[in-house]
Amino acid sequence: MRRQLSTRPLTVLPSETWLARAALALYPPAWRARYGAEVSALLDESGAGPAAIASVAWRALPAWISPPGHLHDRPARMRSSLATALLSWSMLVGLGLVFAQLTQFQGLVVPGHPVVRLAYAVFDAALALSVLVAGLGGLPLWLVMLRRTWRERRLRDAAYLLLPVIAPGVYLVALAVTVRLVGGAGGVSPWWFLAVVLAGFAAAATAAAGPGLALRRLQPRGPALRLAAVAAGVAAAVMAVAAVAIVIAVTGLCLWARGFAGYHHVTSPAVYLVLVLAAATVTSVSALRGTRAALTEPAAG
Amino acid sequence: MRDSLDRWADPPLLVLASLADEPKHGYAITQDVAATMGVRLSAGTLYAVIARLESRGLIEALESEDRRRPYRITMAGAQALAQESERMSRVASLARERLTAHLGWAGA
Repeated sequence: MRRQLSTRPLTVLPSETWLARAALALYPPAWRARYGAEVSALLDESGAGPAAIASVAWRALPAWISPPGHLHDRPARMRSSLATALLSWSMLVGLGLVFAQLTQFQGLVVPGHPVVRLAYAVFDAALALSVLVAGLGGLPLWLVMLRRTWRERRLRDAAYLLLPVIAPGVYLVALAVTVRLVGGAGGVSPWWFLAVVLAGFAAAATAAAGPGLALRRLQPRGPALRLAAVAAGVAAAVMAVAAVAIVIAVTGLCLWARGFAGYHHVTSPAVYLVLVLAAATVTSVSALRGTRAALTEPAAG
Repeated sequence: MRDSLDRWADPPLLVLASLADEPKHGYAITQDVAATMGVRLSAGTLYAVIARLESRGLIEALESEDRRRPYRITMAGAQALAQESERMSRVASLARERLTAHLGWAGA
């Protein structure tokens, strides 16, 4: 078969428009590494108009939902899935803690409707179990990577790996100080509560992004990686149960506890539930991919 | 009319057909498909298709030229294209027969 015959020279300078870069940034890292330069060259040659850039942006969604299999070997698939699942799982845990704060910590139960109380119990058990499984399953991999950063004097990677300890710690200290400074007898004001919640999500994202970056840079393989991938699948499945409990409890409160503060407005609970379902979906899909990669080729790595 | 029928086109088939004569990079594929088949493939659609075809072993990448990478059809891709072409040919024949018999169509 002949080699390539299309010889139109590349006469346009590389596209540096922030829109085109932003559209490509929406793709999974592996996809971007493999095809990003080519798509950028095509946009340069064909003219990176808004429609062309929009088509690139739109196609990022299926690239996440159904990533081409040839872009990853098994360990890379596990690492990529772990990083994504950890981030979305931490967001889901954060949403769960917000749920706990706004419902059962406030003593919101509905007499005559035990389903809400049951949902609280299921949520508590599932959240605790999911955190336990994720922690125990990920600990060996975390230690393996930390030992390597120590051995090879990789200070930046060590810092990434310590973020799950540092970020929540800093957040809890800041939270305690904030509550002491601005809190009254009835707690903090709604605006301060919102600020505290947003800061909590930022801390959770930072804590989760650290190991994700370390996974990408250190590229670990072996049994510890497989164990973490399988544990992520179990933790995600258990957390999905917690998400279902959240949906049932919030729906129950909206239906049967309209007198309680906040639950007579359907919009906020609806937005909250959409976020919970989105985070649960991303977590489950990513963790499932990683677990499948870990189980289908046990000898990998 | 042609634009409205673009969405009926099967982009993977168009890309395979474009690569059936010689290897091409992304821009050359879009130009060839537009010129010979009358369909404009957007950058997003083209690379979604290329990724899928490459993943299934129907096309393969050649050595990169600057930022452009040519692709060529594989034997599996050629077989898939031949099977699909045969099926489409049967559909086209059937459509022509029925249009002629029932609507008096005399051809374009």
